[in-house]
Amino acid sequence: MSWYYIEGILIQSCYTLLIVLGLSILTGYTGMFSFGHAGFVCIGGYVSVICTMAFDLPYAVGLLAGGLVSMILGAGLGRITLRLKGDYFCIATLGVGEAIRLIFNNLQLNWSINGKNFMLDGAKGIASVPLKTTFGISLVIVVIFVIATSFLVNSKHGRCMLAIRENELAAQMSGINTFSYKMLAMCMSALYAGIAGGMLAHYFGYLQPKMFMMTKSTEYTIMVIFGGMGSITGSVVGTVLLCALPELLRAVGDWRLVFYGLAVIVIMIVRPMGLMGGKELRIGYYVNRLTRKLLKKSDPLPGGDEEEEAQ
Amino acid sequence: MNERIRDEIVLELSHVTKRFGGLTAVGDVSFKVRKGEIFALIGPNGAGKTTIFNLITGVYALTEGEIRFLDKCVIARGGVTYDADGAQIPHGKALQLKPYDIMSKGMARTFQNIRLFKSETVFNNVLTACHADADYNVFQSLWRWKAGPKWLTKYRTQEAKLRAKTEELLKIMGIWKYRDMIAANLPYGQQRKLEIARALAQAPVLLLLDEPAAGMNPEETMALMELIKEVRDRFDLTVLIIEHHMDLIMSGSDRIFVLNFGKALAEGTPAEVQNNAEVVEAYLGKEENADGHA
Amino acid sequence: MGIGYYLQQLVNGICLGGMYALMSVGYSLVYSIMNFSNFAHGGVIMVGAYVGYYALTALGCPFLIAFLLCGVGSGLLAIVIERLVYNPLRKRHAPSLYFIISAMGASIFLENFVIASIDGTPRNYPAVFANSISIGGLSLGIDSLLMIIVSAAALLILMFIIQKTKIGLAIRACSYNERASTLMGVNGDLVIFTVFLMGGILAGFAGILYGMRFIVKPTIGQVTNKSFVAAVFGGLGSLPGAILGSLLLGIMEIFVASWNSTLRDLFVYALLILVLVVKPSGLMGKVTEDKA
Repeated sequence: MSWYYIEGILIQSCYTLLIVLGLSILTGYTGMFSFGHAGFVCIGGYVSVICTMAFDLPYAVGLLAGGLVSMILGAGLGRITLRLKGDYFCIATLGVGEAIRLIFNNLQLNWSINGKNFMLDGAKGIASVPLKTTFGISLVIVVIFVIATSFLVNSKHGRCMLAIRENELAAQMSGINTFSYKMLAMCMSALYAGIAGGMLAHYFGYLQPKMFMMTKSTEYTIMVIFGGMGSITGSVVGTVLLCALPELLRAVGDWRLVFYGLAVIVIMIVRPMGLMGGKELRIGYYVNRLTRKLLKKSDPLPGGDEEEEAQ
Repeated sequence: MNERIRDEIVLELSHVTKRFGGLTAVGDVSFKVRKGEIFALIGPNGAGKTTIFNLITGVYALTEGEIRFLDKCVIARGGVTYDADGAQIPHGKALQLKPYDIMSKGMARTFQNIRLFKSETVFNNVLTACHADADYNVFQSLWRWKAGPKWLTKYRTQEAKLRAKTEELLKIMGIWKYRDMIAANLPYGQQRKLEIARALAQAPVLLLLDEPAAGMNPEETMALMELIKEVRDRFDLTVLIIEHHMDLIMSGSDRIFVLNFGKALAEGTPAEVQNNAEVVEAYLGKEENADGHA
Repeated sequence: MGIGYYLQQLVNGICLGGMYALMSVGYSLVYSIMNFSNFAHGGVIMVGAYVGYYALTALGCPFLIAFLLCGVGSGLLAIVIERLVYNPLRKRHAPSLYFIISAMGASIFLENFVIASIDGTPRNYPAVFANSISIGGLSLGIDSLLMIIVSAAALLILMFIIQKTKIGLAIRACSYNERASTLMGVNGDLVIFTVFLMGGILAGFAGILYGMRFIVKPTIGQVTNKSFVAAVFGGLGSLPGAILGSLLLGIMEIFVASWNSTLRDLFVYALLILVLVVKPSGLMGKVTEDKA
């Protein structure tokens, strides 16, 4: 295995982790199930590529624009479905995810801007996207997001989201605005997916709608469940494991997804909270304890200073 | 009878009616709860007690009537209301606040079939419910250092307060030693106490308790009643309670409202209600099989 | 393009709609009792289509036998899934999120198990009914006619069971309130068993009909996505709603396809979003209140 090959897996793990982090907020913490996350990745990818290729904007702006457009779409979807009781949200995400893919499948663009030609050709997608996603950049982005997410879920906002997952009525009766917290979770996970979409596009160098089939969405969800719902560490472990595993186990081939499906069923029966069981690997906490011991200084912490590392 | 109880009206139900399809679960119920009171709602199973709780807290939409909280604020108004003489006055739109909105105006409740945040620790259950005491936003929750301008360090200062408050509440309810336990693994009686602690974390004016002593033995029940009184005095609460344990109700409450088949049957002090022939017949049944439990 | 063309399209639409109806009633039945979206339903349909394919080709069964085998195979599979996947969760009173996740797991398992053990290539059913009859200038394939008749008959029998039999009464009672019904002496396990069995049998019929008309491949389970849309369109949890929604969706889809075939799938999902915005309770849905 060459470094080039390993680097590829690492970059893929990074942007997948970003998507999984977002899904973890949505499914693992707030308890909402999305079948259409690949759609948000798709729209983020296309928007960022249009920004960098058609409008010559910097890579960072492209990523941000992709994330924002995806977030606005997520907010719109939330606005329609989150007030409804029942599985509407679930079915709506399925519909929206597929609809986004199908729109890009039928979309033809041929722009000439400042003498440059930009082609978006339906199912053939966009070719020769500049390769701007390096391992360094991905790692920096993903570490920032892991830390920010773990801070967020360790605040009252994260606790309110968990309360919704645990018992929505009790959460409402505790004065928690369940709608706005679901919206927050939806917007954040769409934002993460959008940014990751931009990273993905600038890593592969091309974009095609068929990269965002529904099976992709379910794979992301499997990573959240595998690592453990309600645990950021779990998402990190689950993603890294499941991203690297298929590459290592190429020989298993088609049976990989059979195993995944089976694993999900078994996890739900035996250990529904997944690998980490809702717990966190609290590196910050241990570091703090160690330093305090060394300095013989007692500093009452308001807790929740824990953070996880990305790799 | 008691200087705790003031004339200020905390909760007022007027001509409250709830229909599910053709079934009238609650029909034309009116009562007022005064500040500082322990007001008991009793009646046989299926009399509509929990439905009234769900109407007050906005879980169900009102069919008719009006519910007022803290005098001026209308939390729900059905399609029809009544004037002082009981005549119907049609008005424009029915009004119904969202449950979380109602609760954040100063109410908290517990549930008949305990509803905890099951896979969270005892500590976090209460900490979660303290959320209204902290107002840091998403971005402020990302700043974890002590250094920085005041508006940025909100997380640290406020979170410390929340934790102190949680600790105090858990100690009052006597479940501090269980703080790191997962709520679902807690003994049944302690789960009920945890639910009350969680409700208190919302710093309510009005506390609604739905059968807090269900499944407890007589000693535990009386101990719980003492605890409820203590908490009421300490936090200056008004308590609306549904209970089946007659001894608890008769000794603990200031006023009792009796419901039967969704209709008001009687209202008064424990002594008055105890001597009401209708109540004795409808609620306790015939003399021979009256055992104090419905 | 005269009136005949439109009539022809209408018949095609009804065919497709009938198939969606067979799929969505199974989904709606489970949803109305257990309150979760059974996303494994697509896998059951796909297995039904494969059973039909092998019964017709490898075993050389006559159509009727193959048809019944599909029903039996899918019905059994649905029950096995219920027993192995949902039953342990049900016993634990797990939240519905767990059910949805398990259903997704089962669906991934079934789809990829077929890909891994058989292969992913699409296969064509042998031509069973190649003839067509013509009525007043309208050419009707025997297979289309059969599809309409079979769907209608199966749905009528299902409605009869739900409306007139004792187990049907139990199912209706459970769909209002499962806990209360079981407390009143309704055998909840039997109801769920029956619901999965009936849903599975209809899914098997849908599978063979779909395979006959189109092709059979491991991913045809994803067609059920459209039957979920149909169920929402008709009213989530309502059986007549699911049937009506499916028929209308099938007809509209065919007409959109005849106008511009690339917009066919997009139209279905656009309709879903439109329904959610305008009238989320669907055509015949009921609004329910949560119990506290």
